[in-house]
Amino acid sequence: MSNPFEHRRPTELEDKAHGEAVRHFAEHLKQFPASREAVERLERDVAKIALAANIAAAKPTSQPNVILADDGAQWHKSVDLMENIHLCHRPISYGAEYAVVEHFPARGTNEIWNRGWNAGEVLKSFTHEQRQALQVWTEDMTAQVKEFLAEKFPGQDLSRVAEAFTLKCTTQAVSKKQSVTHGHEQNHSRGVRIQN
Amino acid sequence: MENIPETQEQPTTPPPERLAYSIQEAADLLGVHYFSVYRLIQGGKLKVCRALHGKLLVPRTELLKLLATE
Repeated sequence: MSNPFEHRRPTELEDKAHGEAVRHFAEHLKQFPASREAVERLERDVAKIALAANIAAAKPTSQPNVILADDGAQWHKSVDLMENIHLCHRPISYGAEYAVVEHFPARGTNEIWNRGWNAGEVLKSFTHEQRQALQVWTEDMTAQVKEFLAEKFPGQDLSRVAEAFTLKCTTQAVSKKQSVTHGHEQNHSRGVRIQN
Repeated sequence: MENIPETQEQPTTPPPERLAYSIQEAADLLGVHYFSVYRLIQGGKLKVCRALHGKLLVPRTELLKLLATE
């Protein structure tokens, strides 16, 4: 997506509308880049995380790291991927099976997202789906901004503002302050943490 | 001293139940980050509908179904 204001400067109204949208959707502007960066980090570290999971699977596991997933089986947490999301393993007769499991606190359940016998492949499937989920988020965010602008400035064509907002949200980097305070990604920003 | 007539409390009608929630509201109700809600939508585990401008809305019935599936 190219900058919609590249060839023609924003009008005064577009400037004002953009400012209001940025204020109104400040949380999205903070959360989206942080989540995108977490996905990018996983993509970059697939081999490293898979190796960590293989090592964890080869070790004897401690009871506190055992969770009961929605398939009725017990899984051992291997690596923290994101907040409430873990790469897990369970022993099978000829090695180990791996799964990405998300804990849903409200339901008290552990949902399996991806599973397989190769930790790297499981992770790749998971990160691929995360990319698609980010795309759903982007589309919804754009729609929310359009709705906000239509309500706030009825009858005005502010499509360039909505485009600029989406571009800002999807391409801006996470600030240093954000990456420190945003617990969601903090756990795995400095390498891979293996569960003991 | 004048007797104050007892006032009878009028029965209040409860506000009508919401039919659908925004992603943010759904995330709050489920107690998860909203990226998790987008993940559920993308994974086909949570059905949504689209409002004007394409904004996603989560029907109340779908949220209840998700919470009851376990």
